[in-house]
Amino acid sequence: MLSAQRQDENPCRPRHFKPPPCAPVVTDSEASARLETCRMRLLFSAAAFVLIFVVIGLRLVDIALIPGAAAEPHIARVAPPPPVPARADIVDRNGRLLATMIDSPNLYADTRQIIDPREATRALLTVLPQLDAAKVYAALTSGKTFVYLQRHLTPRQQYDINRLGIPGFEFEPGTRRFYPLGDLAAHVVGYTDIDDNGRAGLEYDLNEELKNRSQPLQLSLDSRVQFVLRDELQKVVNNFTAKGAAGIVMNVRTGEIVAMVSLPDFDPNHPGAAERDVEPGHVNQAMFDKATLGDYELGSVMKIFNTAMVLDDGVSSMTSEYDASHSIHIGRFTISDYHGKHRWLSVPEIFIYSSNIGSAREALAAGAERQKAFLTRLGLLTPPKIQLHDVAMPHYPKDWREINVMTIAYGHGIAISPLACITGVAAIINGGILRPATLLKVPPGTDPPGVRVISARTSEEMRKLMRLVVEYGTARFAETPGYVVGGKTGTAEKNKHGRYELTTLVSTFVGAFPMNDPQYAVLALVDEPHGNKESHGYATAGWTVVPATGRIIERIAPLLGVAPVDESSPAIEQSLQISSLQGKRIEAY
Amino acid sequence: MASVFPNLTHRELTLADKLRGIRWDLIALITAIACIGFALLYSAANGNLYPWSERQMVRFALAFVPMVAVALIDIRYWFRAAYWIYGISLALIVAVDLRGIVGMGAQRWINLGVIELQPSEIMKIALVLALARYFHSRSGDEIRRFSTIFAPGLLIAVPVGLVLKQPDLGTAVMLVANGAALMFLAGIRLWIFAAGAAAAAAVAPLGWSMLRGYQKARLHTFLDPNTDPLGAGYHILQSKIALGSGGLFGKGFLMGTQTHLSFLPEKQTDFIFTILAEEFGLVGGLTLLALYMVVTGYGFAIALRSRSHFGRLLGLGLATNFFLYAFINTAMVIGLLPVVGVPLPLISYGGTAMVTVMLGFGLLMNVSIHRDVRISRLGESQVG
Repeated sequence: MLSAQRQDENPCRPRHFKPPPCAPVVTDSEASARLETCRMRLLFSAAAFVLIFVVIGLRLVDIALIPGAAAEPHIARVAPPPPVPARADIVDRNGRLLATMIDSPNLYADTRQIIDPREATRALLTVLPQLDAAKVYAALTSGKTFVYLQRHLTPRQQYDINRLGIPGFEFEPGTRRFYPLGDLAAHVVGYTDIDDNGRAGLEYDLNEELKNRSQPLQLSLDSRVQFVLRDELQKVVNNFTAKGAAGIVMNVRTGEIVAMVSLPDFDPNHPGAAERDVEPGHVNQAMFDKATLGDYELGSVMKIFNTAMVLDDGVSSMTSEYDASHSIHIGRFTISDYHGKHRWLSVPEIFIYSSNIGSAREALAAGAERQKAFLTRLGLLTPPKIQLHDVAMPHYPKDWREINVMTIAYGHGIAISPLACITGVAAIINGGILRPATLLKVPPGTDPPGVRVISARTSEEMRKLMRLVVEYGTARFAETPGYVVGGKTGTAEKNKHGRYELTTLVSTFVGAFPMNDPQYAVLALVDEPHGNKESHGYATAGWTVVPATGRIIERIAPLLGVAPVDESSPAIEQSLQISSLQGKRIEAY
Repeated sequence: MASVFPNLTHRELTLADKLRGIRWDLIALITAIACIGFALLYSAANGNLYPWSERQMVRFALAFVPMVAVALIDIRYWFRAAYWIYGISLALIVAVDLRGIVGMGAQRWINLGVIELQPSEIMKIALVLALARYFHSRSGDEIRRFSTIFAPGLLIAVPVGLVLKQPDLGTAVMLVANGAALMFLAGIRLWIFAAGAAAAAAVAPLGWSMLRGYQKARLHTFLDPNTDPLGAGYHILQSKIALGSGGLFGKGFLMGTQTHLSFLPEKQTDFIFTILAEEFGLVGGLTLLALYMVVTGYGFAIALRSRSHFGRLLGLGLATNFFLYAFINTAMVIGLLPVVGVPLPLISYGGTAMVTVMLGFGLLMNVSIHRDVRISRLGESQVG
């Protein structure tokens, strides 16, 4: 058997191979059958292996040497898809972000993959404690493959939910509007709804533009100045337990609004919270923009326009005098002065002492038609032009009677918005050119078109008069060394249901600096302030917004690049000198 | 036959005989391929030995000793131990499935304290040993019987099932392919293969539904890499760009932009062929393919010289195994096969694969050294 088997046990032995003598050869039909099969199959396998290597080699040649066969079209197709159009950013005049789009994924659950709904609910609430546990549990046990749990997560929340490691919690990509500076410019910038459509402010009024533009929208606002303005106004509101406040800083040469604040305000990142806080039927105090939408009888501030009118129309000159020795009685009204001098006063004196009687007589001298025409020219009888549509319609009497002429002279019987007021004041002091207010940055060096409303000479005279008010008049607390501040105060009683109430005031100050060559105007208004110990119980403009404006100017002038000057230098003194007052002593009161 | 070592004219091989029998030419070939690997890993680390190249060198040097040891141990020992090795490998795979380390999303590694072992790699050799022993012990009549396929079928199917569960599609494919090749070479009748192929086609839809999401994505990517160029198709597209950008002679050592600018993540492992093709071009790629072909040819030649059926099948199985490594990896990289995790043998960074391939060569040289040793059906042997 041994010898029979030994013939050749090696089925794959090459034919020419002779086994060495030490290996006895044994024949076996089984072994030879094995041999044949194996040899055939081995040959087949080896051929297949070689063929495969050849195919790989050829493919390598194909990729490496035939241009475009593999590499180039792939590169072309790998090119990134066109960017998804996103709502444009809003930035301030220095490029600082005011509104942007951020990735904010939505959390949903594939409930089939939730292993333990109770545990998943408990874990999720550690990250999102504001959710209702019962609702989440109900959602997770609903058996649905897609159920929203929370929309608009923050990156931190997404990270924390991922860290929970619970299968079934999935994220859907999403974006949301984000306001990095929060409530700082809430009324100007506005906010969007959950689908990123503007609901208020510039977000609403420039909605289409923001949707379509690729570059950020640059505003005229300076967020630093905005911060200062808001900060100081908030202090006024707090110190005088006021209902609210409004403030505007405007570049008087371009009409750019550098800062605009209305208090109270709201966080545009959570507008829903502010919307909910309102009792039905009431004005939403936080949402209401007092600076543009508020209509106020601004009181003596309006004497700026009255004085400019009589000077510019030639009705009076700086030396004209009016009888302010007695109160004026007309019908059931009596017009009197708070700080009566009981004598004839010159036009500068009427302005500085803020004489109602003198102002009324000036207006009477001009007449109703002139007054109406002048106010129309300054744009005070129509809504001010600005990018926002939500601006106040001015209130003024339909029949412009004599009594109206007189009260309008000192700012009663006409209600305008702070925005309209500061736009007019800018025209009065900037040399006489009225330019519409703008919230968009004006490129440096360009001169926005404007309309001349008063002569350059009248404008110069008005600057001098406004400077005197800060030097000697009601606005002395606004004096800021080096910045030659000028302005005019106004304290008006609020007209509620047809009656003026002595205790509910609107105190306003419009200032500008430097008065020898005005660059910026500042308006500060406080709504229903209450006197405190430091103000000796007074809530008038001189005790409330005037000191605040002084602090505002002190803080923003360096930011705006306005260099302080030596006010006692001959050049400055000469530029503000009023010849008609030469030798007269201005009485303090 | 009963006497284990007939002390006749046939003498046992001495250690000196065995050492003389070592195929130094094969070792030179292996070392040459490994050196290409060291250079590519050096390049992949932007011209640094650390972290990959120096470790790979150490592994190669360390694996050299067991390789020679495996070659010198008597082949009859391996014959007797074949089923044991298979059993231990299987146990290790089960252990990994139960409490292994999850690495990169797949549970494939087991920590042995000093090294982390990937038992599915060991199984590639263990399966060859087990199948070779099984077929060695079957007569020609038995092999032609249909029932003969059940035992080897089980030997293949059990580890394949366990490996698929890890999930490691690449190793599963290699085990199936190698097992089928061995059955084919052993003489299983052809109609059984035809039936098996038909059955596989029939259950393919079922298998598709069992694939993981990423595995499906890889298959979609294979059919059209451009469907998701920045997602699932990213790797293979970047890889092709790298291959294509190499041209005939490549951009030069350390000059590949695709690879050095990190367009290709994990380039040091399964996609290392792209570095070769980008920096050494078509010539480099074809040279490596030629080296692989020569090594596979050596394996076949050694198998053919073996006088025992066990040694022959073992040699063929190991050569096929090595061929499958090289073929699946290169075909995957150039887009001829879907992406499955199979390393480029002797070159890709990775410990277990290196050790396994080296041990395979040890066994191959063992077959060469013991080519004239005869083994009986049951494992007793005599020197022919």
